[in-house]
Amino acid sequence: MIAHQSKALHGLPEKVIFCKRCVINNQRPNTSREFVKKDTRIDTVGFGEDGICDACRWFEEKKKIDWADRERQLKDLCDRFRRNDGRYDVIVPSSGGKDSFFVAHQLKYKYGMNPLTVTWAPHRYTDVGWHNFQSMIDAGFDNILITPNGKVHGILTRLAFENLVNPFQPFIIGQKNVAPRMALQFGVPLIMYGENHAEAHNKIGENYSPLMNIEHFTRESNEADLYFGGVHEKDLHQFGISENDLLLYKPLLAEPIRKAGIEVHYYSFYYNWSPQENYYYAMEHSQFQPNPDGRSEGTYSKFASLDDKVDGQHYYTMYIKFGQGRAMNDACRDIRDGFISREEGVELLNKYDGEFPRKYFQEFLDYTELTEERYWEVIDGARSPHLWEKKSGNWVLKYKAE
Amino acid sequence: MTAKRIIARLDVKGDRLIKGVHLEGWRFLGNPNDYCRKYYHEGIDEIIYVDAVASLYSRDHIKEIIKQTTSDVFVPITAGGGIKSVEDAYEILRCGADKVAVNTAAFKRPELITEIANRFGVQCMVISIQAKKNSTGKYMACYDSAREYTNTDVIEWAKEAVERGAGEILLTSVDQEGTMKGMDTELIGLVSSAVNVPVIACGGFAQPTDFVSSVQAGADAVAIARALHYEHVRIGDIRDQAIQNQIPVRGA
Amino acid sequence: MKSVSIIDYGMGNLLSMQRALEKNGARVLIASNPEQILQADKLVLPGVGAFPDGMAELEKRNMVAAIHEYVKSGKTLLGVCLGMQMLFEESEEIQPTLGLGLIQGKVVKFPEKQQNGSINKIPHVAWTQIEPVEISWEQTFLRSITPGTFLYFVHSYYANPASKLNLLAQSPFGDFHFCSAAIHENVWGTQFHPEKSGETGLNLIREFLN
Repeated sequence: MIAHQSKALHGLPEKVIFCKRCVINNQRPNTSREFVKKDTRIDTVGFGEDGICDACRWFEEKKKIDWADRERQLKDLCDRFRRNDGRYDVIVPSSGGKDSFFVAHQLKYKYGMNPLTVTWAPHRYTDVGWHNFQSMIDAGFDNILITPNGKVHGILTRLAFENLVNPFQPFIIGQKNVAPRMALQFGVPLIMYGENHAEAHNKIGENYSPLMNIEHFTRESNEADLYFGGVHEKDLHQFGISENDLLLYKPLLAEPIRKAGIEVHYYSFYYNWSPQENYYYAMEHSQFQPNPDGRSEGTYSKFASLDDKVDGQHYYTMYIKFGQGRAMNDACRDIRDGFISREEGVELLNKYDGEFPRKYFQEFLDYTELTEERYWEVIDGARSPHLWEKKSGNWVLKYKAE
Repeated sequence: MTAKRIIARLDVKGDRLIKGVHLEGWRFLGNPNDYCRKYYHEGIDEIIYVDAVASLYSRDHIKEIIKQTTSDVFVPITAGGGIKSVEDAYEILRCGADKVAVNTAAFKRPELITEIANRFGVQCMVISIQAKKNSTGKYMACYDSAREYTNTDVIEWAKEAVERGAGEILLTSVDQEGTMKGMDTELIGLVSSAVNVPVIACGGFAQPTDFVSSVQAGADAVAIARALHYEHVRIGDIRDQAIQNQIPVRGA
Repeated sequence: MKSVSIIDYGMGNLLSMQRALEKNGARVLIASNPEQILQADKLVLPGVGAFPDGMAELEKRNMVAAIHEYVKSGKTLLGVCLGMQMLFEESEEIQPTLGLGLIQGKVVKFPEKQQNGSINKIPHVAWTQIEPVEISWEQTFLRSITPGTFLYFVHSYYANPASKLNLLAQSPFGDFHFCSAAIHENVWGTQFHPEKSGETGLNLIREFLN
């Protein structure tokens, strides 16, 4: 008997289907504990039998939420943690982008909290990203910016790209840790993120709680095996990274977190989250600027994910691996929020999705010390045959949304 | 005496009135016709509809909106957004619009300007120019709802468009648009002095004195969106301010 | 209910005119052929675009003779914007083209410069005041308008009536005045758009209907 060999890479489902409501395909990955990942395999977001994806299903359910009640819960939460003695009482992980700005600003000016904004530096700041970051601080917030060792970060980025085809992984890993780490350091038990990634990415069950599961940034003991850039921590020395260079990337121990009573909440549990409204809010309350070059590469919008020169590669590698680029993400969101119809979403993603991020490509190569040849070797190796085919010498997605 | 015009600009998406900032964002405000009627009764001189079609297709809604508007609003209507051909322009005019505003399609194929002007007259052909200041201080043209930025100098483009048959310029400052931080009078001055057709200045209007400064910079009309839609300013107050500054306006 | 026909010759904003007439209680018919022109109780010749195209379209549809015959019957014809220009003998727009010749005079382009060298903005797109010249408005369809009221213009050419007897209203442009409304017995014309001039325009249309 011949065992069936799946043609699909990365553990993706072989049959490609598109949500009937938004335009997402079923190749969407869940977020996961990055620091245990050895390869590119992922869990995907669920689709119901009716062809509707979990995210759309969740958006339908959201309509039944009593937001007044949720706000009451937020107020109670703030009352519980508020300190009026000058000490910080909430940590807000912030990039300087519109979403975290909204959260910090609301907590401070509407709910009377004293936030400390904490920023995990992007791989490579864009000018507008830095400007917006400063603009957030000027709007009235203390901030701690943690920038990892540039050399180490660059090596990890390259490894993550080569082994996982995810150059963004070092950012993602560090970002999850930095807020709890500062929480412990400053003795601030409350952390408030913006949007729960379950809204768009995870199993629908995770939407029913305001809390982030601490396993996303902790481990139970020091004995657990850790992987960074797909390489075991003990093997990283081969690439010039010693174990002592990894403090900011290692998850925290769970016990001290529990003991300190640290709680990580999502603002999107308490408030009807809208990235677009956050844009307006940031415009009205700070000197926030959208993309100064017009629309961001790979999409039609101008106001999201502006701060990292590696952002383009992040979305592009997702497009290569899962057939889901930036435009698809934006379009799905706008469809669910009711700004555009599905037909319009399809037009948009067919027009912009997968556009190559040319602007910072050379900088990315310089940063990771990859040759262009090697870059394309990795990219093409990540194209799963169940998604991609070559037509007249060009790579083309087999299935397009319609 | 020729009056300077106060114009209401309504960005529509589907059947809704929306308002963005720097032409980004689709925040829904309401039924465009309700706003239009209100402005008409308050004495607006003209209406400009811009169809914020993200994917440049499906213009049926705007046609319905224009048709509806003609039932109870009896001032000129200009409509733009995604007009790609003489046929598109014809369809829009047939619905009751008096002028068409074209940007992206004219930018990509300037011959379209002449085709529309020849078919319907230069007074029908409004060239819509979205201008953004670059790092060297020059104004560059944008298109596709300011999603695409170019290296084309706005002044040169304005001159070319007029030579090709544009009878009016709708000049929008992308930097000021939606911010209510004031108009870009430098931009207005540069374009008005470069062409001999009327210029409608748009982007950043905050208060009645902005009308005065824009006209003094060379604009023949000022198009206002956010300040009107959010009721930050009243048409009557703009008129009063104009009269105080010896600027002729309708009803004076 | 008064009935009015608007000539449809493929040029012009019929819908706005129709709505303005309906707002004043008229029953509006569209005249797309010579028969319908002849049968009209009152007739409006709208027009947006270029003079040569306008005349060519009228000719293509065999409407020129019908319009002449209609006018001979004594019923009222109102030409608006390009429609008013076509009432005249000839226009120099693009190339010299003959008009309907119902009013004597020619249609010419606005001068690019004034006497003192200042540049005129063309087309004339503006709300501009109208004033009577020698003819009192009292017995005409302009009776509801106060001299000095602003109406909406959008044109690059203007009609020059040969006789002052046809010059019903004038408006300033640059350093001179041009004919903004014309009249010759039952043939009336407005260079401005009454259907786009707010309540003032609507009142004028009401007078036209009476």
